Amino acid sequence: MIRPQLAIAGLTACFGCQLTLLNCEAELPDIADRFNFTYFPMGMSSPDITADFDAALVEGAVSTPCDLETLVTLRNRSRLLIAIGTCAIFGGVAAMCNEEPRSRLLRTVYGPAADGLASFNPAPLERFVTVDFAVTGCPPERGELLATLAALLRGTFPALPAYPVCLECRSRENACLLIERNEPCLGPVTRAGCNARCPAMAVHCEGCRGPVAEANVAAELELLIAKGVSREELVRRLRRFCPEWDYEQRA
Amino acid sequence: MRPFLPEERLGSLLALLGHWGEVYGPVTTGDGVTAFRPVSDPGQLRLEYRRTLIPPKRFLLPPRETILTYSPDAGYQPLDTAQPALVLFGLHPCDLQGIAYLDRVFLEGVVDTSYRRNRQALTIIGLSCEPDEFCFCGAAGADLPAGCDLFLQRTPAGFFVTAGTMKGEEICDRSAQLFTLRQPAGTTPWHHPLADAICRGCAAGETFPDNPLWDRFAERCLGCGACSACCPTCYCYDVLEQGGLDGQAAERLREWDNCLFKSHGEVAGGVNFRRSRRERLQYRFLHKYYGFGALRGVISCVGCGRCRAVCPVEIDLAALFEGEDHDRQ
Repeated sequence: MIRPQLAIAGLTACFGCQLTLLNCEAELPDIADRFNFTYFPMGMSSPDITADFDAALVEGAVSTPCDLETLVTLRNRSRLLIAIGTCAIFGGVAAMCNEEPRSRLLRTVYGPAADGLASFNPAPLERFVTVDFAVTGCPPERGELLATLAALLRGTFPALPAYPVCLECRSRENACLLIERNEPCLGPVTRAGCNARCPAMAVHCEGCRGPVAEANVAAELELLIAKGVSREELVRRLRRFCPEWDYEQRA
Repeated sequence: MRPFLPEERLGSLLALLGHWGEVYGPVTTGDGVTAFRPVSDPGQLRLEYRRTLIPPKRFLLPPRETILTYSPDAGYQPLDTAQPALVLFGLHPCDLQGIAYLDRVFLEGVVDTSYRRNRQALTIIGLSCEPDEFCFCGAAGADLPAGCDLFLQRTPAGFFVTAGTMKGEEICDRSAQLFTLRQPAGTTPWHHPLADAICRGCAAGETFPDNPLWDRFAERCLGCGACSACCPTCYCYDVLEQGGLDGQAAERLREWDNCLFKSHGEVAGGVNFRRSRRERLQYRFLHKYYGFGALRGVISCVGCGRCRAVCPVEIDLAALFEGEDHDRQ
């Protein structure tokens, strides 16, 4: 059997995606048995980035020269590059204020020390390198991370849900927050896989898993505007996890 | 004279039905949703309910189920764990029709063993209903759909009882002491004009290719898939394999698929048979009203009204039969 050599890295991120993997306590012994961890700064001493990897799992957006160097190094050294989490795929929370000047944001956070910092607008991995596979979520579902690792052992990728949250929400027999409660739920335009965790708790979907394929964004906006939410508020909410929606997109 | 169950003896009937399995009936969940849930007390039952959000197909074709397992030692093994016996109480005629249709899909010809296992675990008790503005079944009070074990025709004082199967006869025999005999009042079968329009349209082979409703639907359809997920006769499923972390064992799963999703018509190489939302809606229309494969020519819309009730943007494919002026938006 293949014993894949793994790199697991975090760029500009909260490291919650990597933590989700570390939280798979029951499965960690199996994972340690089947994979070689060679570069995993969050989880090991003396990580070695000079090895050749079968797969590199990368969390976070790219927002510094250092991020970019790590990303390019991993791309060069790894057969497969897998984006994990919403930031790595869409930019995520780190990118929600990309419309504002970077220098002002830096000064707000770091004060005068900001002037010496090399930082640019956080962007998804795909902007810089070829990405072979992606596991979305903020953070990703542990089941999806484990399914991805299990598939790597077989030299393939898992079939993860590419449809909207609504299917999982309906099949759990939740009340529809859009229809029954008139709430601005983003479920119809958001990727499933979370088993509608928030709507099941009567909290409308905030879109943390990013846009579903071929989302009818324009119709969702029209529907929510008709419910009395302003376009500005909707755009602000959509931007929280993905700064680059196409608000005119219908198919 | 027909067997009649006085309303105050419903609890006794429920208790007796427990002999055939755990009784599930229509209740209101904490979320305010109508759903089939275990009931022990008739007070929990919503006898006047209109429709559950998810039809009873979930007991036959669960949203996600393991259909076989693989391990190097045992090879491929169909999942043959016995299903616990269930009594589904209070299914409306539309849902009974839905189950009768699924029975034809999964049990005629090549038998789907997983479906058969789930089906054999069910005892089905039908209940008459009052229509609301969303439903349009054309056959209230008509013949009992195939596969319904027992049917209860509700009146203000109780229920007229009809057995539909051997099992239903057995239930009647066991509960004979609960019944009185009454002369049934004549019920007037009602015909919804939309049901008539659908039958006429289908007989004429209408697909309304030039109707401007298609574009209006496609423009606002969110592709959320609720219409199909909540449809009692939508049975498309996807099959996927999930390997274990040991690198050896694996499970084969099947889960609900949905013709409103991009992935439904997608094949290797990213080619898609139905690229646009309009084509996906038309495909759903064709399946519902004209059928595919062995069931070509069989209308599978049972008029339950769920797709109309659960669409966030009020798309109603049946409006095509009424003409474009009937789009609710």
